[in-house]
Amino acid sequence: MSAVTEAKPKIVVCDGNEAAAWGVTLASVDMVAVYPITPQSSLVEYLAKFVAEGKLDAEIVDVEGEHSVLSVLQGGALAGARVYTATCGPGLAFMFEPYIRTPGLRLPMVMGIVTRDTLTPQSVWGGHQDAMSVREVGWIQMYCETVQEVLDTTIMAYRIAEHRDVMLPVNVCHDGNYLSYGAARVELPDGAATREFLGPPSVNWHAALDPERPMAVDPLTGGAGGPGPRMFVKYRKGHCRGMQNALRVIEEVHEDWAARFGRRHAGLVERYRMDDAEYAIMTLGSMTGAAKDAVDEARSQGRKVGLVKVKTYRPFPVRAVVEALAGVQAVGVVDRSVSFGWNGGPLYQDALAALSGALRRIPAMSFIGGLAGADLTVDHFHRVIERTARLAQDGQPGETVWLNEND
Amino acid sequence: MGAYSTIAFKPELCDGCNACMQACGDAKGGETLADSRIQIVPDRGRFELALCRQCGDPKCVANCPAAALSKNEETGTIEWDGDKCVNCLLCTVGCAYGGIAYNAARGHVVKCDTCGGDPACVKACGRGALKYVTTARIYNEVGALEDLFVPGLAGCQGCNTELIMRHTLRRVGPDTVLATPPGCIPGMGSVGYNGLTGTKVPVFHPLLTNTASMLAGVKRYYKRRGREVTALALAGDGGASDVGFQSLSGAAERGEQILFVCVDNEGYMNTGMQRSSCTPYGAWTSTTPVGERGKGKSQDAKNLPVIMMMHNCEYVATASTAFMEDFYEKLEKALDASRRGFAYLHLYSPCTTGWRFPSRKNIEVARKAVETNFVLLWEFNPRDGLRLTHPVDKPRPLREYLEAQGKYRHLSPEQVAHIQAGVDHQVAFIRGLADGSARLPAM
Repeated sequence: MSAVTEAKPKIVVCDGNEAAAWGVTLASVDMVAVYPITPQSSLVEYLAKFVAEGKLDAEIVDVEGEHSVLSVLQGGALAGARVYTATCGPGLAFMFEPYIRTPGLRLPMVMGIVTRDTLTPQSVWGGHQDAMSVREVGWIQMYCETVQEVLDTTIMAYRIAEHRDVMLPVNVCHDGNYLSYGAARVELPDGAATREFLGPPSVNWHAALDPERPMAVDPLTGGAGGPGPRMFVKYRKGHCRGMQNALRVIEEVHEDWAARFGRRHAGLVERYRMDDAEYAIMTLGSMTGAAKDAVDEARSQGRKVGLVKVKTYRPFPVRAVVEALAGVQAVGVVDRSVSFGWNGGPLYQDALAALSGALRRIPAMSFIGGLAGADLTVDHFHRVIERTARLAQDGQPGETVWLNEND
Repeated sequence: MGAYSTIAFKPELCDGCNACMQACGDAKGGETLADSRIQIVPDRGRFELALCRQCGDPKCVANCPAAALSKNEETGTIEWDGDKCVNCLLCTVGCAYGGIAYNAARGHVVKCDTCGGDPACVKACGRGALKYVTTARIYNEVGALEDLFVPGLAGCQGCNTELIMRHTLRRVGPDTVLATPPGCIPGMGSVGYNGLTGTKVPVFHPLLTNTASMLAGVKRYYKRRGREVTALALAGDGGASDVGFQSLSGAAERGEQILFVCVDNEGYMNTGMQRSSCTPYGAWTSTTPVGERGKGKSQDAKNLPVIMMMHNCEYVATASTAFMEDFYEKLEKALDASRRGFAYLHLYSPCTTGWRFPSRKNIEVARKAVETNFVLLWEFNPRDGLRLTHPVDKPRPLREYLEAQGKYRHLSPEQVAHIQAGVDHQVAFIRGLADGSARLPAM
């Protein structure tokens, strides 16, 4: 089923929301469920427009809220459809009930999270708190740095999700405001080539609502005795295995993407100027652009600093992170969200856990910035670099640094 | 067994005019009313009927030593063969209905032959006391369809769920995707436990909240692929009227092609009989308990079928487990409507456990709800408006319904009066819609 008209521009200038819509279009998605929420709204408007213009041949379901958005897509996927939606912030909170169920059903769908800080304080601006709040639910979560990466990752996400060794839903996260509304030159991959890259949808071979293959989907499982407990463990372990398999599949898919389309994105972790780095900063998402500029400037001043960007946040690429940081004396981890239980950032918390498996102690410190749309500038990252350099010297992590506290 | 036609008699409509007997006598070439094979007999101020019932297990046939009587398997009529009859009259001894009798003028027994399927007596009755009807037509038709649920299920004793599940699935058929959100219907094993299931069509637990949305996704995709699949929900009133109402309302507004059956047992009976917004005023539930201060639910029930009608759905109807033929006709229409838009059936189904009455009385309680006008049976479509399908002009006293259930045992006279006023209001409102004196807002 062709999703894209062949007559299309090869190069477009668009923002991240439109780029995601192009990715969905090129992925020949069958069904899109939409409900607007800032800063995601223009993404679903683009999809509705593409369907109206005939660019995208998909069933578009305008539902009455995010809870139904994901519910419609679960139904569609169980019938065999390749499906898409996007949301953020309060919308993600409202869809939590079907959201938490999706990976257990092993439904390989893709959902963009146009990340937004969570209420309250009331806020409509970017921040990772929404996506971070659902990090333990069992979806794959990948964070994009650029508009081009949003487009490419949205397409790649389907191949990762539908891989037989994975069969899990994927969140493609892109920063609200910075990526959602920031325009850039974007290259559109060829429609036929992306169709070949993805292959036909492979969604419900394992669990279907199809009168031609009648089955009961998701009976009650568990309880104190009988076959329940071991069946439940089997499902849970299968889910964990799918997550771990995803680490391999994500790298393979990114590699294949680079081979076919000539654009190489790091699948799990990107190492930037890390070869001889004595200390590193760690980033997530669009902040990485400013952070790389700061690293370049510091390097030009003779500081041996590098950067590790985490693209795949769930499953957490423990080995890749440890390998990337193996040679440094300290790491400063920058989060755009808060882990309230740890008085630091969630990425910092994961880094600590991963580094506990390193051969020697690598001290780490938490930096939090960019909450609720606040700008994370090159200057902010210079402060991170300076503080991390001190940490490399004395090995004494200080309290969490709130980068925008005195802006 | 096929569907047979027979002559039905409503004694309360008979005034003893004997027109039927006259017509029968004329049709059968008789001289007097005594020649009529239908006999209307005065009995304690009313009239009773002596007529062949065309029994399924006819004693007259069994008693006949000469094989002169036999049941015609095609028409269901008991036929008499004069060539074989030996006039022993043992058949008349066997019949408890006075349906076969010796006619002295003829010199042998005579009995009703239904005039070959067009009985003269029925045509002669001006009061509707006699009707020629097909016995259990719908049951027989549906009985021939495949039962799509396994033998045995884990419902409470006396629960109507089995009735609802088996009969609905038989009619809807195998090209169906069935959603049973958390509640009594999955509770009795429809989706199943630990790898076992009871349903032979694709079945799933939606969340309590998203039944209509999940089905919409299923149905939309099959429609896109050009496949005819029925998207069916068997949901409880709690999931439909409370936490699942948003998705239900959204799907109805969008005209999703779904057949949504709400099985209303007036509360969250599966989780332990808690109150829902469909629980009626005054009812005891585990969250509206009765004590020094509490006197049961202090609010009136939400009238969900009326709310669904206000969505201007393709079809909306109420039904009762005590009036299955009415339910079947509505199921048929709803199934057809669900191919064009949203079809909603609200099925009133008493709960033996939660309503506090003996398990053998389920159908009786369901019937009393209708006969007292506590619930009304109607149907609606956007073209023809609302129609009462079983109008009860002379309702039984409401207390007969309330007293049949333990959950109303505590009611004060004031509470009963409140419920009666609610019933009266509902009757006036629905009848107003039916006769056109009340109108829905323009849609």
